[in-house]
Amino acid sequence: MRVGFIGLGAMGAPMAWHLLDAGHELAVYARRSDAAAPLVGAGAILCASPRELAARCEVVFTMVTAGADVEEVVLGAQGLIHGAAPGLVLVDMSTIAPATARRIAARLAERGADMLDAPVSGGTQGAIDASLAIMVGGKAHVLERVRPLLEKLGRRIVHIGDHGAGQVAKACNQMVMVAAIQAAAEAMLLARASGVDAARVRAAMAGGSADSRVLDVFGGRMARRDFSAGVEARLHHKDFAIVMDAAHDLGVPATVAAQVWQQLNALASQGWGRDDTSRLLCVLERACGRGA
Amino acid sequence: MQVGFIGLGIMGRPMAINVARGGHQLHIWARRPAALEPFVQFGARAHVSAAEVARHAEVVFTVVADAPDVEEVVLGEGGIAQGAKPGLVVVDMSTIAPSAAKRIGARLAEKGVDFLDAPVSGGEVGAINATLSIMVGGKAEAFAKVKPLFECMGKNIVHVGDSGAGQVAKACNQIATGVGVLAVAEALSLAKKSGVDPAKVREALMGGFAYSRVLENHGQRMLDRNFKPGFKAWMHQKDLRIVLQSAYELGLCLPATAATAQMFNAMVGSGLGEEDSIAVLKLLERLSGQE
Repeated sequence: MRVGFIGLGAMGAPMAWHLLDAGHELAVYARRSDAAAPLVGAGAILCASPRELAARCEVVFTMVTAGADVEEVVLGAQGLIHGAAPGLVLVDMSTIAPATARRIAARLAERGADMLDAPVSGGTQGAIDASLAIMVGGKAHVLERVRPLLEKLGRRIVHIGDHGAGQVAKACNQMVMVAAIQAAAEAMLLARASGVDAARVRAAMAGGSADSRVLDVFGGRMARRDFSAGVEARLHHKDFAIVMDAAHDLGVPATVAAQVWQQLNALASQGWGRDDTSRLLCVLERACGRGA
Repeated sequence: MQVGFIGLGIMGRPMAINVARGGHQLHIWARRPAALEPFVQFGARAHVSAAEVARHAEVVFTVVADAPDVEEVVLGEGGIAQGAKPGLVVVDMSTIAPSAAKRIGARLAEKGVDFLDAPVSGGEVGAINATLSIMVGGKAEAFAKVKPLFECMGKNIVHVGDSGAGQVAKACNQIATGVGVLAVAEALSLAKKSGVDPAKVREALMGGFAYSRVLENHGQRMLDRNFKPGFKAWMHQKDLRIVLQSAYELGLCLPATAATAQMFNAMVGSGLGEEDSIAVLKLLERLSGQE
C-alpha cells in the first residue's frame, strides 16, 4: 500500500520503520529533514509538504505532539487536506482533545477523506516492539481497511466508537495510569520515610492485589532512581490539560486527576518535564524535605 | 463624560445605572433590545452596534461572560474597534484569562486605543450599591482618565499593574472566594452532622481568625438556604478553569483550587450550575447523605 508518515519523533520513527519493513511504499515528511534521513536512506520517499505527501498516499499516519500540531499538518496552508484525494484515510495517532479530533474529521469528510483517531499506549518501548495498545475512533469499515497496517504497529487494536472515541479512551487511560504513578510514588515515599526498604515493599506488592504494570515499570524506575525518560513527563502534563478540560466541559468531578495535575505542575516548575513521570516521587520528596 | 456601556446583565445593568446617576451620558447597545428599556429614564442613547457606541464615546465599558464574548464585541464585525477613534479607552470588566486581556489590549493599541482590564468583585449586591472592588490592569494615564467613572461603581479601586494585571488579581480573588465558599460549606456541614447548630457555630467563628466576608455573607445565605444567585456556580466554575489553566502554564501547584473546581464541575453536571455557588452546600449534603 502507498503509506505516508508524518511525525518522526521518539514514537513515530520506529512506527514508520515497521511500515517500511513490512514492504509498504512509504512517503515521509518532517520539518527537519535530518529526522527523515535514515528512512530515506532505506527507500522512503521524502516529500516537501504534507500536501504533497497526501497526494501520493492511500493512508497517512500522523504522530505529533498537540492538537494544534495536528491541525497545522492537516488543515494548514500546506496541509494534507489540500492534497487529499477522495478515499484517503488519515490515521492520527497523536494524543489530542476528542473535540479537536471530531473537528478535523468533519473537515476531511467534506473532501471525501476519512479519519481515524488512533492514539496509543505503551511508550517508546511499545513502539519499538510493535506491541502498542491502539484505541480507535471512527468508522468500523475504515478501520478494517487499515487494520493490516495497525497490526504492524501494535498488538491490541480496539475499535471504541465514532470519531473522538479513541481520544476519549486515551484520556481515560492517562487518568488511570498517571494517578497510579502518583500512588506508587506516595507508597515508595511512605515506605522509605518509615525506614523500610522501598524496593522490598514493591517486590512484596508485586504478587498481590495492588500489582500493576505501573508499579512494575514506574515503581522500578523509582526504586532504581532512574528518571531518564521512558515517557517524558511534559507529555503527561499536556494530556492532563486535555483531561481536565473535558471534565470541566462535561461537568464531571475528577478529584484525583485534579490533584495529580497539580503535582505535574510542580514537576514542570522544577525543570523535570523532559524526565520520566516517575519524577513525581521527587516532587513529594521536595515537599516534605526528604530529597535523596 | 460620554460613556459607552455594553453588557447590561445582572452585573452590567446596575453598574451602568450608577454611571448614569453620576451625571454621565450613556451610549448603549445590546443584542436583545429589551435590555435597553430600563435606560430610557436615564436619558441613555441606544445605538445599532458596538461600533456606533464607540464612535460616540470617550470611554466604553464591557461586562460580558467570557473571553470569546469580549473578543467578539471588541474585535468582531461591527465591534468597538471598528468605531474607535484614537484616544478612546476600552475598559473590560468581565472576568477573562490574563493572556486574553493582554492579547485584546495589544490589538487595540495598534489602533491607538487604550485598554484596561478591570474585573470586579462584590457580586450583584456590590454592583447595585456601588461598592464593588475593582482591580485594574493597564497604563496609569488611562486609569487616571477612567477613575472618576470607576468611583461611580465601586469603593476599593486598585491599579494593580500593566495590562492583564487586573485579571491576575481577579484570578487570585476567585481562588480565595472559591476555596473559601467550599471551606465555609464544609464547616457548616460538619457542625450540622455533629448535631450542633450551624448558626451558633458561624456566630462563634465570626469574632476569630476564621472571620471572612464569605463566612459572614455566604455563610448566612447557606443558613437561610437562599441559593438564589448572586454569583452563579457555572461562572465560578469558568473562573477556576482560568485559574487552573494559568497554573498549568506557569507550573504552579494549586491543590485546594483543583479540589474546589471538581466540586463546581459536579454542581454543573448535576444541574446546580444556575444556582449560587453556595449551593455547593447541597452537593456536600448529597455526598454525605444529609439530604
